Amino acid sequence: MSSQQDELKETDTEARFEFKKEEKSAFQTEKGLTEETVRVISEDKDEPEWMLERRLRALEQFQEMPMPTDWPAQPDLSEVDVDEIIPYIRPDVDVRAGVDDWTELPDEIKDTFDKLGIPEAEKNALSGVGAQYESEVVYQNMQERWEEKGVIFCNMDEAVQEHEELVREHFMTKCVPPSDNKFAALHGAIWSGGSFVYVPENTTVDMPVQAYFRMNSEGMGQFEHTLIIAEEGSEVHYIEGCSAPKYSAFNLHSGGVEVFVGEDAHVQYSTVQNWSKNTYNLNTKRAIAEKGGRMEWISGSMGSKATMLYPSTILKGRGASDNHITIAFAGEGQDIDTGAKVYHNAPETKSTIESKSISKDGGRTNYRGLVHIADGAENSSTAVECDALMFDNESTSDTMPYMEINESKVDVAHEATVGKIGDEDIFYLQSRGLDDDDAKQMIVSGFIEPITEELPIEYAVELNRLVELEMEGSLG
Amino acid sequence: MSTQAIESLSEDTVRRIAEERDEPEWLLETRLNALSALETAELPDVIQTPGRRWTDLEALDFESLVDPLNQSDTTERSVGDDEVVVLPFTEAFDEYGDVIEANFGSVLDPEHNYLTALSVALFTTGTFVYVPEGVDVEDVTVRAEMNSRSLFSQTLVVAEESSSVTILESIEPGDGEVDGDRYFSNLVEIAAGENASVQFGSLQNLDDETYTYSLKRADVGVYGTVDWIESNFGSKLTRSDVESELNGDGAESQIVGTFFGTEDQHFDINARVWHQAEHTTADLVTRGVLDDVARSVYEGVQDVGNDAWNTSSYQRENTLMLSDDAEADASPKLIINNHDTEASHSATVGQVDAEDLFYLESRSIDSHTARNMLVEGFFVPVLEEIAVDEFRDDVEELVFERLQ
Repeated sequence: MSSQQDELKETDTEARFEFKKEEKSAFQTEKGLTEETVRVISEDKDEPEWMLERRLRALEQFQEMPMPTDWPAQPDLSEVDVDEIIPYIRPDVDVRAGVDDWTELPDEIKDTFDKLGIPEAEKNALSGVGAQYESEVVYQNMQERWEEKGVIFCNMDEAVQEHEELVREHFMTKCVPPSDNKFAALHGAIWSGGSFVYVPENTTVDMPVQAYFRMNSEGMGQFEHTLIIAEEGSEVHYIEGCSAPKYSAFNLHSGGVEVFVGEDAHVQYSTVQNWSKNTYNLNTKRAIAEKGGRMEWISGSMGSKATMLYPSTILKGRGASDNHITIAFAGEGQDIDTGAKVYHNAPETKSTIESKSISKDGGRTNYRGLVHIADGAENSSTAVECDALMFDNESTSDTMPYMEINESKVDVAHEATVGKIGDEDIFYLQSRGLDDDDAKQMIVSGFIEPITEELPIEYAVELNRLVELEMEGSLG
Repeated sequence: MSTQAIESLSEDTVRRIAEERDEPEWLLETRLNALSALETAELPDVIQTPGRRWTDLEALDFESLVDPLNQSDTTERSVGDDEVVVLPFTEAFDEYGDVIEANFGSVLDPEHNYLTALSVALFTTGTFVYVPEGVDVEDVTVRAEMNSRSLFSQTLVVAEESSSVTILESIEPGDGEVDGDRYFSNLVEIAAGENASVQFGSLQNLDDETYTYSLKRADVGVYGTVDWIESNFGSKLTRSDVESELNGDGAESQIVGTFFGTEDQHFDINARVWHQAEHTTADLVTRGVLDDVARSVYEGVQDVGNDAWNTSSYQRENTLMLSDDAEADASPKLIINNHDTEASHSATVGQVDAEDLFYLESRSIDSHTARNMLVEGFFVPVLEEIAVDEFRDDVEELVFERLQ
């Protein structure tokens, strides 16, 4: 195991994310968003009528809703002009729903994912892998033993055709309706790609399944949809990774994630987001947890120009629980506005939110979170903890928690601290022979350890490596 | 956020108020400017989350609440020491006109929002407190009773270099017979000079048909200290904002808040501090109890500016729920733009601890008494922060009254 770790460490992570591929596509919509665009996407995907109807309704809602501009201290979205976005690019792949063997992919796409280390990770630690390039999933594979147990892991477009009833019932209906927010509506209109995961009753998928999203073209938008249904007593860990090379025009990522956690089921959703620093990352992620269900959100937000992401959990059944662990790292020019939302709608529900943020070189991080305890959610408890670390005086670190408590038999606690990197800590490490940069890096690694602990080793190494990259050359 | 036009309000009304009080020309102008600002000014910001507006100020019917020409109050001002000036504005213009003109509206912009503009345009009572350089006074009290449908009060405290003063104000319902809803508006501004120290305690215990708006703001100079104690017990709906701007190096501020809501009372309590200079310190401590169907909303803001090196800033808020139908919303915010900062905040909501209750009961104290003891105990950490005995006794008494 250790030699593998070393190998992963040795890989040049920066080069792995920053390379560009020549844009080559089989089909690309015009810039901008009209009913025609939506019809063309739906037709190209050969979708059933009901899906087209949902798309068109979402488009209507998108056009009616105003841009969110009145949130206190929200990131600047004025540059986000949907008419400048290419909403749909189908890469030049022969097999429409993706292939299940890396060697069947065109060389430049295979090369992309090789550089990102995805096939390597699949061999070592994963139950299944999906890889999306631009708007379509180009690779999808799952180990046979899970298939035999009835586990489904396929791309979302395929699911619309093959598992129509399940999708029709769950897709943007009760969890994330398009009316939720403007970008959810946009997503509902032009979504493409993403994963569908179905885990039958009492089935434990003990190795994580993974999806990797890559935007390669300039000025494109990626709108993948992820739908996870975990039936009673089942267990699954889903990991997503995201990256894109940097262009001068902006890119938009507006994904949608819906998770249904059945009775006593357990779903863990981990994200390592490393979009290039011209990407606007405006996602809607939500889970509904039934009786005794357990939802875990683990998020590392490293990339993007601006992120507005608040994974939310609705604790619907008695004894359901939620655990959020988020880490945000904002460097130069980045505004990472992230947090968590939890609705306690049943008795004996529990939530814990642990947020860590680091800002440096003029970056801004903000924890924005909402905990709502409904009337009747007796004996519920929630604990929120936010820690922020600042490197320099150009950076900003905000904390904006909101708590709404409509029930008296509860235990609610929120705590936050902000500090600078301690001179004493650095001095101590220096006295042990580390230079200033290494000392700071080490302190940061220690600061984010609670997050890296939760990830499989490959991802933890990746996250640490990304943090190291961000830290390089910082002389705070 | 659209504003309401109040028909009974006109330039004439404002001129009449100013004339009756024989005010200087500059104040009339300030009032008239405030009046015209009403057309564009907005109601104070209220927190809104998906599906929930924390306080609905727009529902207030200002047309029926505001009766500008029939304001009436009984106010007793007592001063322990004649070195300090404690006067209604009308009696202070002759001698201290320049000081008032220089400071009025300098800390709290009359056109800050719709309700401040309304208040400045119409105020008929209030107090001017002037503490000259080096003067040290302990017991200034201003006890007011409200006798009319609406009452607008304006207080200005000017504490010069190296002065020190403790001021206690209270507002209660008076004898005036008014049926139906009432409106009390209270603006307080404090200009604290270099090395000045001001402690300002405020106790609001109006009746349950009154809507109260209160905004208190201090400008704290170099090495200055302004400590606030904001106690709210009365009113059907209270919107209270206590704010300190730490503008001088080494400035300090403490904001202590207490509230106790019963029946359908609604408290919207806000404490904010802006660190704008080096080595400044702030401590925000609020504790509140909610019974019956009472509801509380709390927002605390610690804003550390870019130049606020070596800042220390702390915030704690705790709410105790005595009833199943009470509701508590809280939002403690940190805005940090300087990394040389030590800041923390915390907020909790909970009920009386079952084990504590059991312990007291096992000592043969009946459960009602035991609960009351624990509630009184809950307030102790904030009572301890109150340095003035008289004020602490008042608060304790009001807590005790509510527990019967």
